[in-house]
Amino acid sequence: MDRPRVLVSLTAALVLTVTVLSGPAIGLADLTQPRYDMSGLGEGDATVDRVEAPSTVTLERGYQSESYYLVVPPARAYFASLSGKPTVAYGVEIPELGYSRSTTHFLSGGETGWVEFSIAEDTLRNRTVSADRYDGQLTLILRASGEKTVVHNGSVSVEVSG
Amino acid sequence: MSSGRGRVPAVRSLRPRARTAWDALIRVAVGDRLGLVVFLGTIVWSFLTWRIGFFITDNYTLANTLVAMADGHLTVADAVYGSLEAPGMSIHDGQLYGRNYGQVAFALPFLWALRGATSVADFGLVFTSLWSLLLLALAVQVGRLVDRRSALAVAGAGAVVSAFAVNVHLAEPLSETLVPVAALQLSTVVAAAFLASTGYRLFARLHGRRVGASVGVAVVAATPVGFWTSIPKRHVLSVAVLLGVAYAFYRSRDATATDALLSATGFRALAYALVGLLTWVHAGEAFIVFLALVLADLPTAPANDRRSLAVVGAAFAVSMLPFFLTNALVSGDPLRPPRMLSRFGEFSNEATFGSSSGSRLGSGGELLFGRLPRWFAGPILELSGRLSLLFDPFVRGTRVLTERPADVYRTLIRAGYIDSIGSHDDNQAINLTVLESAPIVAGVLEAVGLAGSRLRSTRGVDRSVRARLGGVVSSFTDSPGRATDAFVALSAVLFFLAYIPRLPIHAQVTVRYLLPLYAVGVYGLARQPSVRRVLSDHGRAVVWTYLGGVMLGAQLFFVVVTVGTFGRGGALQLHAVLGIAVGGVFALLAAGSAVDDRFDRATAVALGLSAAMGTNLLVLSGVVYFQYGPYALPMVDWLADLSASA
Repeated sequence: MDRPRVLVSLTAALVLTVTVLSGPAIGLADLTQPRYDMSGLGEGDATVDRVEAPSTVTLERGYQSESYYLVVPPARAYFASLSGKPTVAYGVEIPELGYSRSTTHFLSGGETGWVEFSIAEDTLRNRTVSADRYDGQLTLILRASGEKTVVHNGSVSVEVSG
Repeated sequence: MSSGRGRVPAVRSLRPRARTAWDALIRVAVGDRLGLVVFLGTIVWSFLTWRIGFFITDNYTLANTLVAMADGHLTVADAVYGSLEAPGMSIHDGQLYGRNYGQVAFALPFLWALRGATSVADFGLVFTSLWSLLLLALAVQVGRLVDRRSALAVAGAGAVVSAFAVNVHLAEPLSETLVPVAALQLSTVVAAAFLASTGYRLFARLHGRRVGASVGVAVVAATPVGFWTSIPKRHVLSVAVLLGVAYAFYRSRDATATDALLSATGFRALAYALVGLLTWVHAGEAFIVFLALVLADLPTAPANDRRSLAVVGAAFAVSMLPFFLTNALVSGDPLRPPRMLSRFGEFSNEATFGSSSGSRLGSGGELLFGRLPRWFAGPILELSGRLSLLFDPFVRGTRVLTERPADVYRTLIRAGYIDSIGSHDDNQAINLTVLESAPIVAGVLEAVGLAGSRLRSTRGVDRSVRARLGGVVSSFTDSPGRATDAFVALSAVLFFLAYIPRLPIHAQVTVRYLLPLYAVGVYGLARQPSVRRVLSDHGRAVVWTYLGGVMLGAQLFFVVVTVGTFGRGGALQLHAVLGIAVGGVFALLAAGSAVDDRFDRATAVALGLSAAMGTNLLVLSGVVYFQYGPYALPMVDWLADLSASA
């Protein structure tokens, strides 16, 4: 047997062996694990000292589209202490449009100092947007040791552009 | 001892025999080693953007039909996936039926294979392992092809081991309820691989293996054919069959091959048999290909004697048996496919060859013929109804050309935002035109330049119209390539006419109804002598511009789309606008090259860039814009997660 062939056969054997050994028939190891460990979320403790939230969010007309994209700048919170796996939900609400949305962030212990939170971009249909500006509400809600704490709740101006 | 010695020669004689069988299989399925490389490369490539799940609602119909068929019945009783009220479900005598039974039947072996694989392997690792082994096979074959076996074995083994390690590290559990839909997707990926290798085989015979390989790669990497490879719709199958028919058609006329496995008549019969099998998938599209085939085949065939027609007819009839049988089992009428039954779902956007026009004509006729005896009126009504049902789409399509030219423009050239369509997609303009999604096909415009230069060169020659006409006809009968051109061009025109009355429409993204046009576009490009000259004289420039355009271009697109406020609609429009610009320049330069070879270097760069634009659209829509399920490869899944949070 020549060397390239040995190398190729060994590689194929490795792939097949790992696959079969971890398979349900033999089950030597479970190689497929959820990438994010969801256990214990919302448990732990956190102390928030300060919060900085944006004063305006924008509804921008998409490129070559008739839809609007809601762009919310990130908010920051200063954590004096952090343990366990608390979560923070950063949310925006525009009552006039009947619109609300929030993005939940997972924190992990030891991550003290400033932490930045974002809200994923979202699409709004054009028919719903008619005014130049709306009043909105931004919230940061901390979930730790099974309790929900509102760490920020402030009004924000929603500017329509484009 | 003695028995052991007796066995050795038996083993030895088995190996050459397996070798011969393997070689024969390769030859029949993919042509030769380079064909195998194109085949494997297409699968390896398609896995990169394969999301296991449902892209479009009627995928539910096919997946539910597959589950039912695997259990041994044609009726669909349970909604294993989604709802039974999905487009494409039909109802007959209170029973629900799916559609595209041929496609579902093609997916059955894949379902069995995957079910077998999941009994010994973790489903979350099945595709990782499969992909690793295919990548290894690809490296080995490339090594043999370029005669650098050691180097490619080392590189391949290294790449496979590291990719396998990364994939295993990132692997997540995958629900086994996804096995049937994954089987459907795997079947269309394999169909796409056959599509590419058949394109290679056709052009390897027409213009050499280099052009052949370029065609095979371009179709799946630079046009939306690659967008639909892992989305289980009929379109990729239809294009694969279309190219298969073109190949068989060419071989039926090409007397130069002395090593043919089939006679000329055999290949001709094969062409019709492939069309017959396509009826089982989609009767309407099979009819388009059939019409083009008959129109191109009968006038240009070397012989239309009774014997060869009998062979061809018999093959065609046999190939349609599964179609007739399925129809007979479903509706009791062998000529009535499930698509022509009444719909169960509330809407369907695929009614081009559907029941609406046919039943309307039928009921109108019944008023007229109602008083005649049923045995007499029935067949006439049936015949006229069916004929008008078959030809009506083409008539309507021709009318659209004059009555609604704007819709033709918005299907082929530039769509932008169209309110009636965008309202289905959150007012986002996510449906691109043919040119926008595959700038490379703009190059076929160079045929116009070529025709101009040809006209100039023949102007001086004084010939009667009749002599010229005779010359044109004989050029088609004498040249297998020209005859194949006629078949391919006719199919493209008929596909276009059949679907244009419904276009533009939502849920297309890349005008999937016209998917054959992309393959035909690449075909037309590779048939131009000047494009082949560009490819052979400046091949390096094409390849490097292409690679640069993909490596840098894809990242630039991602950065611009992420930093700016684009959203999905805006991002796709960015691809569209740049695609038109690049495609337009390529069309102009290619036309220039057709007249003067001083344009060739610039044309090479434009060709590479337009191909790169097509690839960028495939990669970004596969990994960033349309994420709808776990990716077959964990490393791509991880990358897609990362890009989503950027």
